[in-house]
Amino acid sequence: MKNPYEILGVSSTATPEEIKKAYLKLAKKLHPDLNPGDKQAEEKFKEISGANDLLSDPEKRKKFDSGEIDASGAEQRQYKYYRDYAAQGTNNPYNNKSSYEDFAANDDFFAEILRKRAAQQQKSQRSDVSYSLTIDFLDAVLGTTKRLFLPNGVELDVKIPAGVEEGKVLRLRGKGAPAMNGGSSGDALIEIYINSHPLFKRDGDNISYDLPITIKEAVLGAQIKVPIPGGQVVLTVPKRSNTGNILRLKGKGVQREGIPGDVLINLKIMAPTGVEPALEKFLESWQAEADENPRKDIQQ
Amino acid sequence: MIYTEIEFLERTQLDASTLEVWLKEEWLIAQFSDEGRCFTKIDVARVTLISDLQNNMGVNKEGLDVILHLLDQIHSVRRQMSDLLLEIKSKSEKTA
Repeated sequence: MKNPYEILGVSSTATPEEIKKAYLKLAKKLHPDLNPGDKQAEEKFKEISGANDLLSDPEKRKKFDSGEIDASGAEQRQYKYYRDYAAQGTNNPYNNKSSYEDFAANDDFFAEILRKRAAQQQKSQRSDVSYSLTIDFLDAVLGTTKRLFLPNGVELDVKIPAGVEEGKVLRLRGKGAPAMNGGSSGDALIEIYINSHPLFKRDGDNISYDLPITIKEAVLGAQIKVPIPGGQVVLTVPKRSNTGNILRLKGKGVQREGIPGDVLINLKIMAPTGVEPALEKFLESWQAEADENPRKDIQQ
Repeated sequence: MIYTEIEFLERTQLDASTLEVWLKEEWLIAQFSDEGRCFTKIDVARVTLISDLQNNMGVNKEGLDVILHLLDQIHSVRRQMSDLLLEIKSKSEKTA
């Protein structure tokens, strides 16, 4: 790492004004955007900016002078320079051809090249247009095709892939705003919003919900028809099931290509709400095999 | 990447009235979409350049006009030069 005083070409006793002046003089010469073709300018400019950051801050300068920090402690700018974009430039709005029009106009060879270039530029003056689309929960899980009516009167069929997530942006090539002068159109960018579902909850590619069951079904086990996205299946509730047990239906969740997610069913035992004299009579005489206390975790 | 005017102001830390002045001076050129004026990455980089010139190098408004105009011409010439070189190269390859 070079000495910042040497980089700016000032003595170690230079005043802040002298440092500023030296920096400005070099910055004007070395700024990468004022040297579009000089690859080294960026490195040199970083060097002098770093040296200036260090020496123009009295605190940092003091620390450097006393040897507490070295020149590498200087901050460096991290961004793309204007020249990086201007050089790419087919659709550079700041294009200015006044500097070569005179000789280009009288030369067929050169004029031909410029004409080609101008044609390319017109094609590239296109723009992307953003839309938002709200879809149902099940459409997001299973995938679907939606018809969109764009403000410009165009109808558009949008294929929603199964497993699409909230906030995902679908890009439809060439469906954006048409380019000026007959070039190709920009893209339509469609941001997806998903409605919630009264029963199903989604966690990544898995779908979960609470399934109420009766005491009888829980104790004796049962075959129950249960909803899954896009249909129903018969679920086997095993004997001695309990509230909080989770039953997994493999591959019935989000139908993502490759590995579909699962449906997770959370059992919830519901006691009867009506009058059940037989049940009451039975429970009064019922003697449990094991003396279990379901509240042992919360009672001292 | 296209920024709306609000996103652009946020990204460049430019205030709205300065943006109006710069657009009027044609230091910046906005494009238009359904949502009004919009900007791209080249505009963001250009704001950084203008701020650098104005704040760090002490260039005043008149100086900026001159610099940006010359800079735009340099970039155009550089591109034409590179197109020209490519064309000459492809022609000479064909004849070789």
